[in-house]
Amino acid sequence: MTNDRPSNANHLVATIAALACLLFAGIASAEAEENKDPWERFNRGIFRFNEGADRYVVGPVAKGWDFILPDEVELALGRLFDNARFPIRFINNLLQEKLVYAVEDLGRFVINTSIGLGGLFDPATELGLKAHDEDFGQTLGYWGVPPGPYLVLPLLGPSSPRHVVGRVADSAAAVYPYFTMFWVPALVTSTDLLNSRSLYDETLTAERKSALDFYVFQRNAYTQYREDQVLDKEDSESDDGDLYELDE
Amino acid sequence: MATFTNWMSRKTPIPRFGVALTVGVLLLSIPAASAVSEPKVSTSGSQSPLDARGVVEKTVQEVLVIMRNPSLSQQERLTSIEQIVYGKFDLTTMSRLVLARNWQRFSKEQQVEYVSLFKQYLSNNYGGRLSRYDEFEVNIKGDRSESNGHVTVRTAIVGGQFEGAELDYRLRNADGSWKVIDVKIEGISMVSNLRDQFKEVVSSGGPELLLEKLREKNAAPASAD
Repeated sequence: MTNDRPSNANHLVATIAALACLLFAGIASAEAEENKDPWERFNRGIFRFNEGADRYVVGPVAKGWDFILPDEVELALGRLFDNARFPIRFINNLLQEKLVYAVEDLGRFVINTSIGLGGLFDPATELGLKAHDEDFGQTLGYWGVPPGPYLVLPLLGPSSPRHVVGRVADSAAAVYPYFTMFWVPALVTSTDLLNSRSLYDETLTAERKSALDFYVFQRNAYTQYREDQVLDKEDSESDDGDLYELDE
Repeated sequence: MATFTNWMSRKTPIPRFGVALTVGVLLLSIPAASAVSEPKVSTSGSQSPLDARGVVEKTVQEVLVIMRNPSLSQQERLTSIEQIVYGKFDLTTMSRLVLARNWQRFSKEQQVEYVSLFKQYLSNNYGGRLSRYDEFEVNIKGDRSESNGHVTVRTAIVGGQFEGAELDYRLRNADGSWKVIDVKIEGISMVSNLRDQFKEVVSSGGPELLLEKLREKNAAPASAD
């Protein structure tokens, strides 16, 4: 698992890398107009690697995780990690001019960190305070930066150049890398990913079995999901193109 | 692109007990909370989105009743849900939307076989999964008329593992009744997703390869483990 929460010393490097990616994303997206997936050969290679890793390593470990831990514990851990991502949501809501959302997330963080025992429980949702999941990739999308071509990352899976830039930038917003040893954020990230993988094991297995082409399934699902996240579905009339036109 | 004034009008959930408001930092959310009310649909217009919403509401309730009935076996449950879904979903239209332009490449016989394979494929892959998710309520959040006369009904799952998951149903009115032609799960349209997958297959091996792959999948249903 890669360490995508760099320590303090790495931040300059991370920022330069982010800017380079941004430039790269702009160039790449210009040529991606016709072809949805210009990097398909490369992507399919990484996809096969990921599928292998999932089948022989990540999946079995996640199953073991699932076997040892009761569902309630897994769900609580998921909420804990989610609560820890508060700074990312807060900053990006502000960067997208969503002041009310930012304040609601702040309220969630205060309630869940105190009454919710650090975030293991989620009393804020009971009180009607919903999380507004925003990240820097979405912020870039909000300001009109295109996602660039579909990109599959080793172990992390579906992504895009814009999303990669976002991940790097968001890592600066996570609090704990500043005062912990480098392996702590790495361990936290791995545990978070493993826990999520375990929670969605059934769904993943079912999708894998039913898809005619699981690579295309993932690509389409990822692309739609990110587009939808950027658009904030509830207030948008979605542009579905010719999706609902019956060809007589 | 949203403007700065947008955040005032964004729909935010109303804190159910107002307890949240006692937290000082939340004071800012009051203007938004009080401005929120679900978009009321006028019943006077010739178009009646309430009907589409009603269809979804009724279907969801019927399905939930079946899923919670402990006296039914898994198989009975599936069969009853299938019957409801076949009645409320326009699977023929859905299957054609999935094929898009490729529909023309299918002969009459292939089209007929494709539609029936498609129905089987959906109920194998989604019906089986549905029956496991029985500890939730469904909250109808609102509806929206689309430019081509369709209506989207937005719902969210309350409780259980999928708490907060959003499901949008797109309905089309044909012969006076509203039927579902697409489901968006967390923003992911089923029609769009299947269209991409099926397109890949048809462009590599023509209609016959798609039919073959569907026959294969249907013979070994994903839910049979």
